[in-house]
Amino acid sequence: MQKNGTIALTFHVLVLAFVLAPLVIICLVAFTPENTLSLPTTGLSLRWFKAVFAHPDFMASFWNSIWLAALSATLAVAFALPAGLAISRYSFPGRDFLNALFLSPLIIPHLVLGVAFLRLFALLGATGSFAWLVATHIIIVTPYVLRLVLAALSGLDRSAEQAARTLGAGEWTAFRRITAPMILPGITGGWLLAFINSFDELTMSIFVTSPATVTLPVRMYMYATESIDPMMAAVSALMIAITAAAMLVLDRAFGLDRILVGQR
Amino acid sequence: MAFLTLKGVSKEFGMFTAVRDVSLTIDKGEFVSLLGPSGCGKTTTLQMIAGLVEPTEGRISLDGRDITREKPNRRGLGVVFQSYALFPHMTVAQNVAFGLEMRRVPQAERTDRVREALVLVQLSSFADRYPRQLSGGQRQRVAIARALVIAPPVLLLDEPLSNLDAKLREEMQFELRRIQRKVGTTTIMVTHDQAEALSISDRVVVMEGGRMTQVDAPYRLYEQPSNAFISSFVGKTNLLAGTWRRNGTTNAADIGGALLEASAPEIAAGTPVTLSIRPEKILLCDAGAGRLEGRVASRFFLGSQWLFTVETPIGIMTVSTPNLGVEPAAEGSPVGLDWSPDNMRIIAGTAAAA
Repeated sequence: MQKNGTIALTFHVLVLAFVLAPLVIICLVAFTPENTLSLPTTGLSLRWFKAVFAHPDFMASFWNSIWLAALSATLAVAFALPAGLAISRYSFPGRDFLNALFLSPLIIPHLVLGVAFLRLFALLGATGSFAWLVATHIIIVTPYVLRLVLAALSGLDRSAEQAARTLGAGEWTAFRRITAPMILPGITGGWLLAFINSFDELTMSIFVTSPATVTLPVRMYMYATESIDPMMAAVSALMIAITAAAMLVLDRAFGLDRILVGQR
Repeated sequence: MAFLTLKGVSKEFGMFTAVRDVSLTIDKGEFVSLLGPSGCGKTTTLQMIAGLVEPTEGRISLDGRDITREKPNRRGLGVVFQSYALFPHMTVAQNVAFGLEMRRVPQAERTDRVREALVLVQLSSFADRYPRQLSGGQRQRVAIARALVIAPPVLLLDEPLSNLDAKLREEMQFELRRIQRKVGTTTIMVTHDQAEALSISDRVVVMEGGRMTQVDAPYRLYEQPSNAFISSFVGKTNLLAGTWRRNGTTNAADIGGALLEASAPEIAAGTPVTLSIRPEKILLCDAGAGRLEGRVASRFFLGSQWLFTVETPIGIMTVSTPNLGVEPAAEGSPVGLDWSPDNMRIIAGTAAAA
């Protein structure tokens, strides 16, 4: 591997520091024994973590967000997988349009989406149920799954599936036994990215959550507008931990490079 | 006895015709090669037999049964892909067992047949490895075992040796032939390598631009190519364009002023012809003693033989001579070229760009 020059190295270190410093600081602040957002100088304390777990609203929102993220990521996979197969394997009229349509939520600002959904739900008279929230999240996380499924499919040697067919497997069996396992890293990676994106989505969710379906980011936002205390840091630290843990599992199972860069 | 028959088979991809009116009859137990440059339609022909590509026109029948529209999983043919197409998430044994599993062969019999197939390709000790842990040659043999274990009526090989290095390729040629002889499966191999096609096939089908241009046994194909393309694609050759003359009782062609004798069927004098003579059919002799005078332009030592390019009044000629253990004519030295007129072949018409 080529070595970095001094300037390049300095640049890399600065970028890394810029990206990681806020995360490190928020995690440190979470352990403060003080009542204000400050770096722990007099010792470490878990009091703010206890406060989070004892806070019924935060816990309700936390579970709400977990369910929401898991459900919308799973349903997004259910949509994106057949869509990806159709887009990558067949040429049919409207194929490019379909591809663009599925990916369009990436380009539209979530703020705009939020306002639009709010207006739509008001028109439909469908306000604030969990199912509607899931529907909106599916729309914004599907592009991530589709991108990764398409990347996995484009790097796939189709002859393995053809070989299975000549060996006596029907189309569905060949997909289930051969193609699906071969693109599993892409599917799993897509699911996880979808999960993470749903889990920390704030901008759009503010508009489409109801008091009964407040997600964790929305809860944090509401809490922070009233008071800023180290409990916010503790919640943030927990969110970072969950995301990092998920990434670690994914890396161990398949290798992040392979999933996100599409190497095989 | 016709076992596999292709009748007027064509394939069009939009405006492009990949395969045009191919008719071919293959006997049981035969080893047939489809030979041609890339893009000649040979792989498409193989895929139509396998059922992976549907013909636009024509019929394919196997053992008297029309299989033109049958799904690949119903045909039961063994296919070895160019990339081998092993299942990366399965072990060697699981790969080989896949076809048996699809046929619902009982577990005990399955294990036995997988073991036999791995013995056949000499990979018994690799049953529990994954494809990524194998070398190219080993993967290729797994692919063959996987295709043969289902006891297919026909084995289809798509450029099976092209991903191997030269030495391994030669070994695998003999290996393929050994396995095919032993199992007796009717085999069709696609290849762009004429040496490969000549060495292991019973018959070779030459394809150019989607059409079949000659179907013959390897020896006949080499000795009696039906056109200029085949004569230069299958082996090396010297192509000489000229005009047919009759000189008393002997027949000869006028090649740039030189009259070269050739045994010929009825050709009218004045007809433009192309003569073809293989490099190994030309003998180098002392200057003045041969049919043609020349000067050695360059020579290449290939181990078992020497390859010369000789400048002659009628153009550059390629000559190959066996290595007889003494150093032959040096570069720049004058030599004579001689040959038996029987080996001077006539290819009708003017030479195509070879």
